[in-house]
Amino acid sequence: MRTRFFASAALLGVVGVVALAGCGGGGSSSSGSTSASGGGSGDFASSADAACTTANKQIAALGTPKQAEVLKYMETTETVIEKLDGEVQALGATGSAEKAYTEALGKAVITLNHMTNAARNENFDAVREISDELIELNLGELAESAELTVCAEVPVSEA
Amino acid sequence: MRRARLVLILGAVIALLGSVGVAMATTGATTGYPQPKVVVPASVSTPYEQRYVLTAVGSGAGIRSGEMKFEFEEGSSPEFLVGISEFYSYSPDGSIETSLFTFYPFTELPGGKGLKAPALKVGASASYGQVTEDGELQMFKIEGNRVKGQIRLHGDGPWPVEFRILSDDESTGGHPPVAKQLPEAEPNNPGWGAEGSEYDGEYELTNAAANPTEKAGTLGAVIGVAQGLGTKGAVISGGSMTVKGEGKPATAEVTVETGGSTRHFTLTKLAWAGDKRTAQVHENGPTSPPVGRLEGTGGQGELKGRLIDGHTVYQVEFKMK
Repeated sequence: MRTRFFASAALLGVVGVVALAGCGGGGSSSSGSTSASGGGSGDFASSADAACTTANKQIAALGTPKQAEVLKYMETTETVIEKLDGEVQALGATGSAEKAYTEALGKAVITLNHMTNAARNENFDAVREISDELIELNLGELAESAELTVCAEVPVSEA
Repeated sequence: MRRARLVLILGAVIALLGSVGVAMATTGATTGYPQPKVVVPASVSTPYEQRYVLTAVGSGAGIRSGEMKFEFEEGSSPEFLVGISEFYSYSPDGSIETSLFTFYPFTELPGGKGLKAPALKVGASASYGQVTEDGELQMFKIEGNRVKGQIRLHGDGPWPVEFRILSDDESTGGHPPVAKQLPEAEPNNPGWGAEGSEYDGEYELTNAAANPTEKAGTLGAVIGVAQGLGTKGAVISGGSMTVKGEGKPATAEVTVETGGSTRHFTLTKLAWAGDKRTAQVHENGPTSPPVGRLEGTGGQGELKGRLIDGHTVYQVEFKMK
């Protein structure tokens, strides 16, 4: 009698686990519409755009710096982009366009660090020269290809 | 590739710094400079392989004293000159600062008038981008042990310079004498023309370049800021100017756009002489402290020049609407 009770409970448990696993699988497949052709996936796009919304707001709030404020501006921007990079990297890009955007963002962090160092040395010619490397990344264009609407936008200065 | 070249030049600069100033030898210190694309004949460059002490300089340069040395790159074929200078400058707070420049590569001035070379600024530490073009030195024909020329630095100038050639056994002991400050002819007529009607009005920028931030997404703002820095002349993607002042001291409001960044300046003390035009530049209205100057040429509804804001130089060309 006791044995039958345990067997029934075990069976119910197995059925329950299978049922729960089925629910999880369904949820996953409904949201994971990754484009094999290299476009954007819904989860990645919405999460990256959310991160970009925050980053763009923080950068826009910095306004246009006066000469004496350039270093502070560079340091803050570097921090914001570094955080954005961390958030986007954690999303795990799947399509080729998402990967290209993520890779370019990583490169931007390194370039921004070089620019900030040049600003620390008050070598503003170097800051400008190194920024050419940021232009060459075409990050906005890559964002568009990955169907990232907000990430493709240029932050508009509030001041 | 660019970084490799910088490392190469930095190494050469460090080697050369060891020999500048009171060095007695005139050869053998420079190494690592790439062969220039343009060859200056040895008959032209050899007389300039000297040590020099600055004897006179345009007062606007803010240089108190200085010395320099030109020598042939060791083992180069064909031989080419490299220069190194040490200038002592007046800082804004009145103290004396040391500025190091290298001059490379040398080319001939048109008409056989002498030599010229970009002035490369040398920073205090060997980090990325520490050797950057900061102006130009022109050396005219040597007359006896004297040579005149002109120099542009930090996006400003040119200023006249005069050097004396040091003899082989002569030394400044690391303390070059104070150079004579040459007065500069400054425009002193008020306004930007004899009549206010000549220059009063709305101007549009005519040398706008493509906006470098268009495809930059989140990085657009920082690119816009960075592209507005430097002594070469910032890339301006748009701008305008309004000049007001008939019947009172003229002022102007200038807007320049560098990428996504917009900067506003007020110009005061507008002055002219011939086609020269100057003004004082303010960041926060006409009563705020001046941050730089506008220097250029103008007339007949046009103004071309450099608007200097601290470390930033904007090359502007305006035309009256």
